[in-house]
Amino acid sequence: MEKIRIVIVDDSPFSIAFLRDILEENGYEVVGDAGTLDEVKEVIKAKKPALVTMDMTLPGTDGFECTRAIHEIDPSIKVIVVSSMMDDEIVNEAKKNKVSAYVQKPVDADELVTAITRVMASDELYTLLEAEAFSVFKEALLDGVNRMTKTLLTFKEEYSTNKEHKSEGLTVIIGIIGKFSGRMLIDLSKETVNNIAEALLKRDVKNNDEMLAAIAEFANIVAGNACSVLNRKDKSFGLRVAPPSILYGESVHISAPNFKTDTAVAETNFGEVMINVGFTKGEEKWM
Amino acid sequence: MDVKHINPFIESFANVMPQLGFGSTRKGNLSVKGKELQSSGVIIIVGIVGEIKGNVVYSIGMEDAKKIASTMMMGMPVDELNEMAESAISELTNMLTANAATSFSGMGITIDISTPTLLYGEDISVKMSSNQVICIQLFADDIPMDINISFEK
Repeated sequence: MEKIRIVIVDDSPFSIAFLRDILEENGYEVVGDAGTLDEVKEVIKAKKPALVTMDMTLPGTDGFECTRAIHEIDPSIKVIVVSSMMDDEIVNEAKKNKVSAYVQKPVDADELVTAITRVMASDELYTLLEAEAFSVFKEALLDGVNRMTKTLLTFKEEYSTNKEHKSEGLTVIIGIIGKFSGRMLIDLSKETVNNIAEALLKRDVKNNDEMLAAIAEFANIVAGNACSVLNRKDKSFGLRVAPPSILYGESVHISAPNFKTDTAVAETNFGEVMINVGFTKGEEKWM
Repeated sequence: MDVKHINPFIESFANVMPQLGFGSTRKGNLSVKGKELQSSGVIIIVGIVGEIKGNVVYSIGMEDAKKIASTMMMGMPVDELNEMAESAISELTNMLTANAATSFSGMGITIDISTPTLLYGEDISVKMSSNQVICIQLFADDIPMDINISFEK
């Protein structure tokens, strides 16, 4: 695996040398260091590190100002504050400034390595989720339809661009919560809902409530199964589903979320079913 | 459903709204609704899991949603609910629910929240999973917002 590239920000040559030794001994690549705001901007632009260790007290600036400058250049760069000061106020301020972790000086090598591993693992984990999630949900939909109605479906259209769309009639929303949070949305016409409900019940649907209960349970099973499969791939996902909410009306518009989602339209024996799934990287759990 | 589970949402509203440029907040009616809600305008759904499981449904009239988005964007005029305004409203409900989650943890109840999903339209029926939904109406600068809380216990 490629070495993780790190920049050290500190005004003390001793601290820089000390941190460099720890990092290099533990298989990281130190690609630069900086002691002032200007130097920070310069080295970040030139070296594009994955992670920065950040001292708090710096001449003419502080660790938070430098952190903001780094994130202006590239918001994906992780910053770990390494400082002798640590109290609630600073830690809260650090969270606000999107610092990923906090390690107190004098630095314990194990503590620093653990912090880096945890911060970087979260990135890898999200990449894994992004790569796997949608195919797992599609599989769960296919499997759900197949097992509950003994029929098959084909996916005819797929896209990952976020666009607003008008509901076909009824939308089921299931919030997903875990290491990363997200949602699954299923949209279909009322006629399709009715057809699916009849297939599930193996008889005519008596009333609206029965129909809604059937589609809620169906969506719940699809989302629950998909999350179980993902949790088996990596147990640290820890995904759980919130109860389904159902919305329907004459003209319901589902807005495009500000995070990436994937959409597919499945052709089933009962009508078209749209499935849309997305997760946000969001704020990571701290420390 | 326990009425004390409403308080975190009221506190959160009183906490968050002033930070976003609203001058005053106040509490309106509290009502108990059945499983199904009727609503027009903007609806945002946030899922909850943990020691409590359920959904929070924020319901805001279309014109009110535009006013809220405009205040959040420092008075920028919002003539239609565009992507930017939708994003502001989604973020608002995320903040409100996250803030309430922090209050719950202060009560010894750990919950986590999902990403918000925003929909809009006329005469929308919303079917919740629990049999009882508590609705609290809250005002920020006299703009009303309904917070519908549906918890399974």
